[in-house]
Amino acid sequence: MLSRLVRLPSFWVAAVILLLVLLLGVFGDVLAPSNPLKGSSEVLAAPSLAHPLGTDYLGRDVLSRILAGSPVSVLGAIEVAGIALVVGSIPGLLSVYLGRAFEWLTLRIIDTLIALPFLVFAVAMTALLGNGINQAMLSVGILLAPVFYRVARAAALQVSSSPYVEAATLSGASASWVLRRHILPKVLAPLGISAAGAAGTGLVIVASLTFLGIGVQPPAPTWGGILASDLGYLDYQPYAPVFPIVLIVLTVLALNLLADVLRDASGQSGRVMLKKRALRRAAKKRRRSSAPIPQRAGELT
Amino acid sequence: MNLPPPPRRSLIRLSAAVAAVALAAVALTACGSSGTASKASSGPGGTLKWAVANAPASWDPVVDGSGFSFNYTALAYDSLTHTNEKGKAVPGLAESWKYNPDGTQVTFHLRSGLKFADGSALDAAAVKAYFQRAQTQTNSALVGEGIAPIESIDTPNRLDVVFNLSQPDYQIPLVVAQRVGQITSPKKTPAQLNASPDGAGPFKAVSVVPGSHATFVRNPNYWDAKNIRIAKVELYFNVDATTVVSGLQTGVYNFTDELSPSQVKAAKAAGLDVVLHPGFNANNLSVNRAIAPFDNPTVLEAVKYAINRDQIVKQVDFGYGTVATQPFPKGYIAYDPDHSDPYPYNPAKAKELLAKAGYPNGFSVPFVVSADTPENELLQAQLKAVGIDATLKVDTNWSTSFFAKKLPLSTYGTTGRDSPIQTLQAHFGAKGALNSSGIDGGDAYQAAIAKALATPLDSPDYQKNIQAATAAGLETTGLVFTDTVPNIFAKSTSVSDLPKIPAKITWTGVTIRGS
Repeated sequence: MLSRLVRLPSFWVAAVILLLVLLLGVFGDVLAPSNPLKGSSEVLAAPSLAHPLGTDYLGRDVLSRILAGSPVSVLGAIEVAGIALVVGSIPGLLSVYLGRAFEWLTLRIIDTLIALPFLVFAVAMTALLGNGINQAMLSVGILLAPVFYRVARAAALQVSSSPYVEAATLSGASASWVLRRHILPKVLAPLGISAAGAAGTGLVIVASLTFLGIGVQPPAPTWGGILASDLGYLDYQPYAPVFPIVLIVLTVLALNLLADVLRDASGQSGRVMLKKRALRRAAKKRRRSSAPIPQRAGELT
Repeated sequence: MNLPPPPRRSLIRLSAAVAAVALAAVALTACGSSGTASKASSGPGGTLKWAVANAPASWDPVVDGSGFSFNYTALAYDSLTHTNEKGKAVPGLAESWKYNPDGTQVTFHLRSGLKFADGSALDAAAVKAYFQRAQTQTNSALVGEGIAPIESIDTPNRLDVVFNLSQPDYQIPLVVAQRVGQITSPKKTPAQLNASPDGAGPFKAVSVVPGSHATFVRNPNYWDAKNIRIAKVELYFNVDATTVVSGLQTGVYNFTDELSPSQVKAAKAAGLDVVLHPGFNANNLSVNRAIAPFDNPTVLEAVKYAINRDQIVKQVDFGYGTVATQPFPKGYIAYDPDHSDPYPYNPAKAKELLAKAGYPNGFSVPFVVSADTPENELLQAQLKAVGIDATLKVDTNWSTSFFAKKLPLSTYGTTGRDSPIQTLQAHFGAKGALNSSGIDGGDAYQAAIAKALATPLDSPDYQKNIQAATAAGLETTGLVFTDTVPNIFAKSTSVSDLPKIPAKITWTGVTIRGS
């Protein structure tokens, strides 16, 4: 799978961006050139050598705030995807094996979750559980779980009815053995695709929630929070919202690209696509090597 | 050159005819609009489209506690008295008033023929019913607002209302000027008034959609209706601060009272009239001296030295604010010049005092506020600089715990009251809405207030006695006053200038052109 991935150029684009964002997520606080909470008298200053992205309404360095705000945003997105993966895929797989009652019950719960809107639910949950990023992420993660439930269940259903799995069951294999040996490897790829997509969605939701002032308390910086406060001073710094927006857009783009290449490279269709590409490249090479003769003939006439 | 073929010529003729009809239609509409325009210059006309950040908490003035929103309820309710440009009480629903010689009884004489919007009569009984409700209704927000000295109310006839006072109090005509004197119809239950106003104001409510908008039309029964030149008022609630300038520019609104200093530049660039309206605004850091560690006077003193007001004015107020050390701007009648800056910014001294109080490494305290504002963040940073770790928490339900006096540290502000003593009591009195600790300054403060209340407004000692009450209140308060910003209004140029009555939005005489 990895060997197939590295042959796709968009994988490299996604990987480089995500690696950079992950670096920001882990080391953002350390990388910040100045204290993101310390104000100065230079309020709403334009970008300069001292402040490459300018300063905000309290004279705080915007670059430092964006860097320091990265962990919350990036780790929040990972948290959402992780929670959704665990909460969704495990019951999804089990729904095929644990009998009709469990299947019926989980399906109904998942149907209910699908009907709930993300942001409204997250806002309500934070009102209930306290205004913290983990509470917000937990609620969003639970709401994203149906995606994983359905993907895991669909893949498991397909494999579980295949002859070799039936043969294994007839030979006395336990449900857990079948799940680990036969089902899990088959559902990993679709789950990976969903996880990349969910992380992208998660990042947008983290940014939206912090934009609304939910999940993080001031003066802690977040990408969404920085964007929200910039809107109050558009007349002074019309360019300011661009900085957090570019980061958000690039990260989501990279995550979606990753989901795309994972899909392209996985399974039978991926193999076919890569084979076709290789053939096309080979054909082009052949054409190039045979082309020079008529070209030269053309030049001569 | 050939002439155009006949069919073509008939086409030209046809289009000429169409053009003629269109022209005639335009001319007719022009006549029509010039007709309405001439009517507008003589009678009322135009729609005021007013963008408002927060709707009043209630349309019942007894329940609605928030200072500035009395300007919205004032559309529907008139008050016993009004104030003029100098802040002096002038006749409103009451034509005149008279004190007895020792100042313990005041009689308001109502105008004759006053009517509520529902057509019922506004008489002495209605006024009495209103004040009884203000004093006794369990959810009344007016209990601490200068009506405590009113012991009983007599109505000797339909037009005279007699207030019997527990002590000499010459502030009553100012107290009933707006916030406390908006007389409600006794025919309506508090629940009905909560949803939709019914008063004897310049306008009457047509529809009130909570959280969205309210529509008012001119009230022909208003006693001063001849000076109300606006036909209709539309209030739009919860208008986001970042969109209000664009809304005014495109004509969605033509007036707002909620322009933040950071938006003045944008509003001026958009060609709007930006008006700095006089007022009595003052913001404060509300330190609750009933809750540890602020119950220790040394800690409270440390906080007072930790606040850098110049920085707040410079960074947050965009050049429109001034430093405040008292609950009103400098120059106000109750402003005590001897307390102009009792605690100048001195972080070193603040740290020293904290160490002396037993907190050499500072302490941590929740800082619960109603909104994430630059000022709150700046105050948090200033406290942090002296070692006080104030953990900011934005609570949308802030008001419940604030008014229950449960928050150790918060921020609040006043938009002022017409009576200076009412302002003092709101900040320093035990029942005052802004007094976050619910403790007053004790005997010395109460004596100073009683003395100021008993001083006639035209007495040479009036200002001196009020300033003494200010000084007594400041002595022990936990409120740390930070800055004062004028009311910044923005309006389309089609709306004529508003009367410059401090802290009031008055529509008497205001016209709206071209709508």
